[in-house]
Amino acid sequence: MLDLLVIGAGLTGLTAAYTAAKSGLRVKVIAKGLGAMHWGAGTLDILGYLPGEEGAVKRPLAAISQLPDGHPYRLAGDVAGVLATFVALTEEIGLPFQREVGRRLTQINADSENLLLPSPVGAARPAFAAPVGQLGGDLSRPEPMLIVGFTGLRDFYPQLIAENLTRQGYPARAAFLPLAVVSGRRDNTAVSIARELDNPDQRQKLAQALRPLLKPGERVGLPAILGLDDHMQALADLQGLMGTAVFEIPTLPPSVPGMRLFRALEERLQRLGVRVEVGMEVTGANRGWRPETRDSQSPISNLQSPISIEWVETETSARPLKHRARAFLLATGGILGGGFESDVNGRVWEPIFNLPLTAPQKRSGWFRPAFLDPQGHPVFNGGVAVSPDFRPVDGAGRPLFANVWAAGGLLANFDPILERSLSGTAVVTGMAAAQAIVEHVKCEP
Amino acid sequence: MHTKSWHSVGPSLDACIKCNICTSYCPVTAVTDLFPGPKYVGPQAQRFRENGQPHSPDHSVDYCSGCRVCNEVCPTGVKIAELNARARAQIVAENGLPLRNRLLGRNETLGKLAQIAPRLANLSLHNPVSRVLAEKVMGIARHAPLPRFSESGTFGDWFQRTQHERLKSDKKAVYFHGCATMYYEPFVGKAAVAVLEHNGYEVIVPPQNCCGLPLLSNGEFDEAAKYHSNNVNKMRIYAQAGLDIVGTSTSCTLTLKEEAPELLDAFDEGSNQLKMATWDIFEWLRERYEAGELKTDFRRMEMVLPYHAPCQYRAHRVGKPALDILRLIPGVDVRESHARCCGIAGTYGYKAEKYQIGMDVGAELFDFVAEQGDVALTACDSETCRWQLEHGTDKPSRHPIEILAAAYGLYELNGRDVVHS
Repeated sequence: MLDLLVIGAGLTGLTAAYTAAKSGLRVKVIAKGLGAMHWGAGTLDILGYLPGEEGAVKRPLAAISQLPDGHPYRLAGDVAGVLATFVALTEEIGLPFQREVGRRLTQINADSENLLLPSPVGAARPAFAAPVGQLGGDLSRPEPMLIVGFTGLRDFYPQLIAENLTRQGYPARAAFLPLAVVSGRRDNTAVSIARELDNPDQRQKLAQALRPLLKPGERVGLPAILGLDDHMQALADLQGLMGTAVFEIPTLPPSVPGMRLFRALEERLQRLGVRVEVGMEVTGANRGWRPETRDSQSPISNLQSPISIEWVETETSARPLKHRARAFLLATGGILGGGFESDVNGRVWEPIFNLPLTAPQKRSGWFRPAFLDPQGHPVFNGGVAVSPDFRPVDGAGRPLFANVWAAGGLLANFDPILERSLSGTAVVTGMAAAQAIVEHVKCEP
Repeated sequence: MHTKSWHSVGPSLDACIKCNICTSYCPVTAVTDLFPGPKYVGPQAQRFRENGQPHSPDHSVDYCSGCRVCNEVCPTGVKIAELNARARAQIVAENGLPLRNRLLGRNETLGKLAQIAPRLANLSLHNPVSRVLAEKVMGIARHAPLPRFSESGTFGDWFQRTQHERLKSDKKAVYFHGCATMYYEPFVGKAAVAVLEHNGYEVIVPPQNCCGLPLLSNGEFDEAAKYHSNNVNKMRIYAQAGLDIVGTSTSCTLTLKEEAPELLDAFDEGSNQLKMATWDIFEWLRERYEAGELKTDFRRMEMVLPYHAPCQYRAHRVGKPALDILRLIPGVDVRESHARCCGIAGTYGYKAEKYQIGMDVGAELFDFVAEQGDVALTACDSETCRWQLEHGTDKPSRHPIEILAAAYGLYELNGRDVVHS
C-alpha cells in the first residue's frame, strides 16, 4: 500500500511528493489535469507585497513577522530552511534557482532582499530567486535593455515592456525580429519556439539576427523561449554567441519556465519511483462517502474524534478506481487553481473531502469594489484552515481527519495574488506538510 | 446523421480558460502545421458548430489523432477529444466518406472475408505492387504497418477446437477478443485464456461483434451504433449474471465502456450493464492482485522490457495496470515509456496523408526504445500500437498478457504460442 497519496500536481504537490519520497515513503501523485505551474512565471516568489501597504516588500523573510498569525508562513516556522531545500532541489534537477548569475544560492536569511525582474507588461516584479535564465533581467543592474519580440508571436509585447520599464527609470528599447528567424511553423506559441531552440542551429540563426540590432553595452531581453528540454545549454550558447547577457521574460500562458520546472520535477520524481498520474479526478472518499452537502457547516465537523480516510476514488471510463494510502495530502489549489468549486450564488466548497472553507459564501462578499484594492479580495483570502502541522481543522481548531493534510493555494488566511506569494507558499507548505506526514507515517506501527 | 445530444460533452467547453496547456502537449501540433491544436479545433471551433450552423468551420479537425493527451492535461476538464470526434462525424455527414475510410472502419468484415483464404489475402495485400496501388488508389500509406491475417485459423477456431482441454470452474470470466485477436493475432487470446485459467477461471467466449471503434473514429456513427447494439444484445446476459467481461484490446474495452455510449448517446440499461461489467484485462488482473487473488508463481525472466502504455489507457483513466503487474515478475526490468503517442492512433497512421505525421509523432517513443540498449522485445497493450512500434523500432513487440503468460510458464514468447503440457 502507498504511504502517501498526493492529490494535485502543481508545485505544492510535486515538492511535497519529493520530500516524502526522499524520506523513504512510497508516494503517488494524482491530478485532474496539469496545474498552475504552466501559467506562472516559474520564479520563487516568497512575498512581494504586504496587504494594505504601498510598494514592494524589500526583505521578504523579515516581513513574515508582519503577517497575521494564521498565515501559512507563520505555521511553517523555519521558512528559510525549507526554501534552502527547494533551492538544492532545483540544482539537483538541473534548473538552478539563483539570485545572482553564476552564484549558488546558499544564504537565505532575514537580510536577503527581493530581486526586481521585468514582468510581461514591463512592471518591476518582485521575486526572491529565479531560474538563471531570468536573472539577466535584474533591474538593479545598470545596463540598458533591448527587448526583442517576434512579429506574429501573440503572447509577447516588447514595446509595452520597454516603454513601461523606461517610464520607471529602467532604460529599455524595443525591437522586432521576423518569426521566420526561429521558426518555420505557420502558427507559433512560446512552447513551439522553445522546441525550435532546442536545436543548436536555430540558436545560431537567432544570434545572427540579433547581433545587428544590439548596441554596445546593452543586454537582451527575449520572451521565455530559450529551449524546452535543453534550456541551460540554449541559454549558454546564446550568451556566448552574443557576448552579452541574454535573459527571458515570462510570456502569457503557457509558461515555458513553468513547463520546464514541471517536467524536471516530474522526471526527478519518476527516478524516485513516484508516479505522477494526470487525468484522474477524485470523485469520492472512504466508504463511498461523497460530499453531498454544499454547506460550509460540514457534517464531518460535528464528529467527536477525527476519522481516517481509507481511500479516495477517481472517475474512470466505467467504475470508480480506488486509491488506498496511509496518508493523503490535498494540494489541489485555491479558487483559481481549481481546488474549490463554486456556484452562481457565490457558494464555495472543497469537493473532495468537503472541508470547511473560510471563504465568503455569497457572491457579494467575494470582491471589494476596486480591482486593485491594496487589501486584496476576500475570496482569494479564503480557504482551508489548518493546524500547525497542516491538518485541516474544524471551527474549534481540531483536526477533522486523522490522516489528511492540506497545503498550497487552498490554504486559508493568505492572498497569494496580492502578496505575490503563490510559489513560495506552495514550496514552503508543501514541503513542511510532507515533513509532518513523514513523521506521522514513521511513528505509526 | 446520428442524432447527437451534447449533454455530456458540450457544456464542458464552457470550462475552457484558453490556457493552451493542451496545445503545448499535443503531439500532433508539435510536428505539423496541418493541425493547429486542440484548443482551436475543439472548444474554439465548437462555438461555430452548434445551433444548426450549416457547415463545419474547420476541416483540420480531421488531423486530430484522438490520442487524448489534451483531455488528460486539461486543468478544467474539457472533453476535447470527444468534441473532435463529434465534429468529424459532422463532416462525414456533410461530405460523405472516402472508400478508404470505409474499409479501415471495417475490421470485422475484412477479417471474415480474408479468412476464406488467408494466405491469398496476405499475399495480395502484402506485396509492394499492391501496397503502391493501395496508396495511389485509396490513400493507404504504402509503408504503414498493415497486420497479417492469421494463417493458422482464427482465435475462435482454436477456442472451439480445444474445448475439451478448457478449464471448467465455478469461477467464470467472459473474454472479449476483438477483431485483432480473432483474425490477426489469435495467440494474444490464447495467452489470455491461459492466464485466466491458471488463476482458476473458466473462460466464456460468447458470440460478439467488432466494438465499432474504427467506425467511430472515421465518423461513421450510424454503422457503429449497429455493432454496439449487437454487442449489448449478445453480452448483457453475462453482465446481468454478475460476470466480468475482460478484453485484451484496450481500445475495444474502452469502446464498450465509454466511447460507444458517449458518442452514440447509448445510455440505455443494456449499454450501461455492459459498460460496468467490462474491464481491460490488466485492470482486472490488478484488482485480483490487490484482493490477494492473483497467482504470483512466476518464473524468473531476465530481460529489459521497454513498456509503452497505449493512448487508450489514458482514456480509461485507470493508471498503468499492466506496468503494475509486469513489475511483479522477478528479473523483468520494465522501463516505462513516457512518450505521448506511438503515432498510429488506430487507423490514423495508415492514411497516406497522415503516415509521416504518425511516424514523426512516434519518434519520441522509437528514440526511447533505442535508448534502452539492445533489448529483445518491447511491450504494449494495443495491437495497432504494437505494429507501429515494430515498424518504428525493428524490434518485435508483445502484449503484456503474453509476457505474463510466459512468466507463468504457459507461453512461448518467440514462437507466440501456448506451451502444450
